[in-house]
Amino acid sequence: MSLRAKSLKPFALIAPAVLLLGVFLVLPYINIVVMSLRNPGSGTPYAPGFTLSNYLRLFADSFYLEQTANTLVIGFITTFVCLVLGFPVAWQLAKTQMRFRGLAYGLVLSPLLVGIVIRSYGWTILLGNNGMINRTLIGFGLIDRPLALMYNSLGIVIALVHVFLPFMILPLMSALQGIDPSIEAAARSLGAGRITAFRRIVLPLAMPGIQAGCILVFVLSLSAYVTPSLIGGLRVKTMAVSVVDALIDTFQWPFGSAIALMLSLTGAMVVMLFARLTRMKWKAN
Amino acid sequence: MTEVSIEALTKHYGASLAVNGISVKIAKGEFISLLGPSGCGKTTTLKMIAGFEDATSGAIRFDGQDVVHVPAEKRDIGMVFQNYALFPHMTVAQNLAFGLEMRRRPKREIAERTARVLDMVQLSGYADRYPRQLSGGQQQRVALARALVIEPRILLLDEPLANLDAKLREEMRIFIRDLQKRVGITTVYVTHDQAEAMTMSDRVVVMFGGQIAQYGAPADIYDRPASLEVAQFVGQVNILSGRLLSTDANSISVIDTALGTVRIFNAPRSPDGAVTLVLRPEAVELFPESAGQAGVPATVTASYYSGSLIDYLLALDSGDTINVQTFPRSRFSPGDRVTVKVDGDRFWALGAAA
Repeated sequence: MSLRAKSLKPFALIAPAVLLLGVFLVLPYINIVVMSLRNPGSGTPYAPGFTLSNYLRLFADSFYLEQTANTLVIGFITTFVCLVLGFPVAWQLAKTQMRFRGLAYGLVLSPLLVGIVIRSYGWTILLGNNGMINRTLIGFGLIDRPLALMYNSLGIVIALVHVFLPFMILPLMSALQGIDPSIEAAARSLGAGRITAFRRIVLPLAMPGIQAGCILVFVLSLSAYVTPSLIGGLRVKTMAVSVVDALIDTFQWPFGSAIALMLSLTGAMVVMLFARLTRMKWKAN
Repeated sequence: MTEVSIEALTKHYGASLAVNGISVKIAKGEFISLLGPSGCGKTTTLKMIAGFEDATSGAIRFDGQDVVHVPAEKRDIGMVFQNYALFPHMTVAQNLAFGLEMRRRPKREIAERTARVLDMVQLSGYADRYPRQLSGGQQQRVALARALVIEPRILLLDEPLANLDAKLREEMRIFIRDLQKRVGITTVYVTHDQAEAMTMSDRVVVMFGGQIAQYGAPADIYDRPASLEVAQFVGQVNILSGRLLSTDANSISVIDTALGTVRIFNAPRSPDGAVTLVLRPEAVELFPESAGQAGVPATVTASYYSGSLIDYLLALDSGDTINVQTFPRSRFSPGDRVTVKVDGDRFWALGAAA
């Protein structure tokens, strides 16, 4: 093989992926950036000329600032709840020889096996004022009036946790499986109780999995559309819902693009900050 | 220094019996090895001493106090694992400090002791490295240092040299043994490598099938094996069947073998007069037939040269084959006629009283 052909080989190998990303990710993004700077139109998606007014509107209107904060909070809480619920499951699957390991693994993956629209409708049946949960609780006389489980952030978080739990459990599980059991035994032989050994040894070593799981769930929560729109209804709108509203319902492409970019940027910033805070020096170089 | 006493220690895993009522007394500062093939129960025994496995029954006493119900972290043991089990997210110094932090020692003392023990294992310049930046041998020494820095009551080592290459392994044997003598710590060493057990230990516990086959000094086990299994596991051996001809008033038996008539003290008696004798390959002397020495005639069928030693396979004229190991001073080739000579006291009759 000639030197020239050799040096081209790595490029040839990554070309399909680069092409896919370039065409379907970078180009649309450029389009969104450009669109977010266009003048709003009336009766048309946008008008000729460029402006910063879409961004000014986003920052001036407390509704949108609150919405940004609310979307982030939903993302944080969903991530946190997934971590807290997912860790013990990942631990069981990774560290023990359960009798029904295969079944448990299937259950973990089960949320991914049902289409997102069907799954979200399922939650509206459970969570609604006249839904199964409220009817049962009232039926048992535990409450007088239905609990507000839908059309609020709580309902969105419940449904998102259900969907995204596998994305937390799988990376956690693989990280925990990678920890040599004798490392934990070594900590115990040196005088660490189970809790100390977990905190000082297991948890830091599981960090790559925690990091991956948290980033996945957080990013997915921020960009989730179907679940928040069905469960949040008209009352609670996340940024992703507002983007679709602006693009499709109110036909304001420039403003919708500005919200979309805002969503991407805040998400990226949080992820970068998180990655920095959880940086693992011992894994570097 | 701590005296360890293991009494009728037993471990069941469901229906299978991993350790079957073993009893061992380990003196203060003694280095003992648990030697045996995989699955013989040696690692399970070590884990029970460490507290990682619960004993089904029996006692483990440190200086007379039963520790069977004491959790691992309260037993005050230093343990070295086969794969070192260093904490990958901590530097060498942090690995060593961990056990001292658990004992709530002041920072200054931790720094001093860590530095001293790192010096002892010749790794002074490596305090700030992460384990993955060290070679296998260095990681091994860090693991040893981490176990010793807490000044534990006993040191437990689980096949610590198994992952090292041959040359390093031999160096580490001597290194560990020297260190153990200097520190004077009671040590239990698990291995399946008989040479390792022999060179390092004060006494060796040979285990088969969850039971102790023999417990004694390395030379006892090598020269006076308690059973055929022990004889074959510990080094190479020739098995010779003999026939008891007579026993005199002083319990000296005369036994007829393929290598001539042998006299043995206290040979076991079986009804049909059959005796099994073991003979180490290096106990045999070889002479060229032309030298005219008295002995048993044989023909060399194969030779294996290994530098410091040479192994021969011989066919005795009687039809038996034996292994012989000698210094390569006089070299024989396959086909050469030789005379075989063995001192009578180099034979050992299985089942004989020592």
